[in-house]
Amino acid sequence: MVDKFFKKLSKKVGFLIGIFTLIFISGFPFVVMFFSSLKTERQQYTFPPTLIPEGGITELTLENYINVLNPEIFPFFRFFGNSFLVASISAFVAVFLAIFGAYSFARLRYSGRKFLQRSIILVYMFGGILLIVPLYQIVVSVNLANTHFALILVYLMQVLPVSLYMLGNYFRSVPYEIEEAAIIDGCSRIGAIFRVVIPLSKPAIIAVYIYAFMISWNEYLFASIFLRSPSLHTLPIGLEQLFYTEHFVWGRMMAASILTALPIIILFLGVEKYMTEGLTAGSLK
Amino acid sequence: MLKKIINLFEKEKYLGWFLIFPSMLIIAGLIFYPVLYNFYLSFHEVIIGIEMSYVFVGLSNYIDLLTDSGFWHSVYLTLVFTFSTTLISTIIGFFAALLLNNKFKGRFLVRGIVLFPYAAPVISLVFAWRYIFHPVFGQFNYLLTSVLGVIPEPIAWLEMPRYALIAVIVFNSWRMFPFAFLMLIARLQAIPQDHYDAAKVDGATFWQRLRYIILPQMMFVIATIFLLRGIWNIYKFGEIWLLTRHLNVLSVYAYRTAFSQFNQGMAATITTSMFLMLLGFIILYIKKVLKW
Repeated sequence: MVDKFFKKLSKKVGFLIGIFTLIFISGFPFVVMFFSSLKTERQQYTFPPTLIPEGGITELTLENYINVLNPEIFPFFRFFGNSFLVASISAFVAVFLAIFGAYSFARLRYSGRKFLQRSIILVYMFGGILLIVPLYQIVVSVNLANTHFALILVYLMQVLPVSLYMLGNYFRSVPYEIEEAAIIDGCSRIGAIFRVVIPLSKPAIIAVYIYAFMISWNEYLFASIFLRSPSLHTLPIGLEQLFYTEHFVWGRMMAASILTALPIIILFLGVEKYMTEGLTAGSLK
Repeated sequence: MLKKIINLFEKEKYLGWFLIFPSMLIIAGLIFYPVLYNFYLSFHEVIIGIEMSYVFVGLSNYIDLLTDSGFWHSVYLTLVFTFSTTLISTIIGFFAALLLNNKFKGRFLVRGIVLFPYAAPVISLVFAWRYIFHPVFGQFNYLLTSVLGVIPEPIAWLEMPRYALIAVIVFNSWRMFPFAFLMLIARLQAIPQDHYDAAKVDGATFWQRLRYIILPQMMFVIATIFLLRGIWNIYKFGEIWLLTRHLNVLSVYAYRTAFSQFNQGMAATITTSMFLMLLGFIILYIKKVLKW
């Protein structure tokens, strides 16, 4: 009896230790980011490292946030706006095209479809780094270097395959009967897509949009190759370049980091369930 | 009615192609064509001027590359990085999935926190980790020297190539474990409850359940994670370059060759070689591990 009690207790304690280790590992860098963003430059440099400055919690300040949000001190809004523009347009076009493409894969029967589907899977074997030289050459030769347009095209290319894949998985899970009924009632295929498929897959479509948005929001490689003028910089390249200038202040970079991450984390957690379903559908045999 | 349906099938042929056409055009034009173009460039020297011009140099880029010891060192670093990061992130993801497969209060909150590293943009995370890896004021050195006493002296993790490899592996394993976690927990939750019940009746311990019930069911997902993450890690650039400039993996080597030395023909040779090596690995992996 006592033996059983201790066995149960040790199991419970082990489990709790596991959970707290997990929370610590995942969350600690964010805690560091958060407290650093509230400290003055002098307070950053303490040994041993502390999260809260010596004088206690009242020593913390919002000064970094005020400075980061002031366009005369820190170009945060400009970078944010550029990132938002590029990411929202490329994600929108990708999802729009992928709805029709994925529908074609999921519902229509025609010769050559298997071949096209396989070639989309093949894309997984390529990475952005393989394309830096040829895309740079092409972009320069058609005079699109240093434009957002070039970046939007490249991001569209990067998110389109995964959007096709995810949406295809969702469409296959929507019962075909409803669509069939609409078609028999005289609705065309295209009409059925707009009136039946899109409304029924709305959460999935939003999830794919946010996933595509996140990928573009994160992208550094092509932005660093294509964009020269600081006025066009997106967040990753803009913040990175500030790190190497005299404007570099730890607290400000941390405040900017939090403001960059927060909207994305919230969006991600909001649609994570649908995203995971779409991404893992193929591998859960 | 019947005529209408036949008519529909007749039209579907064209409709199918019509609907996928714009997507295929973009993928073909911006992925497949550039990859071929890259292959073509790898046999040329690219002269950058007002007009770009290409001089055919045959295999000389490849010969220069394969006889360059710096290249082989990059291959070595890339393989160590890819393998360690994939392995560590899968192991952490696996334990996280096992823990969160239990029902408890606050489970959804913990799940949310676990996803933070994966959801947050890289640029935000690298600033936090550059601070954590700071040689004097960083928490990482403090933990290893003063708390655990594993190393006697603080280390400049991001400034020395030897240690940069470790720092990059730590950072990327941390960032990518939630991906493995998501795939693994989805599979765990699909294991039917009666499997566990049967094991319980037989009096199986936790380790026995892990070994004989959970692991066999997970093998396919684990193999898939290894394949996908392996490919993505070999090509990884931003998560390495943004954390430290002192780790010359193949992607960094190609980037520098293309945009610091502006030797774009050689950069094309490096990336083409990367792709060919990966192709070899994938074929081997699919044949030996996945046994398709």
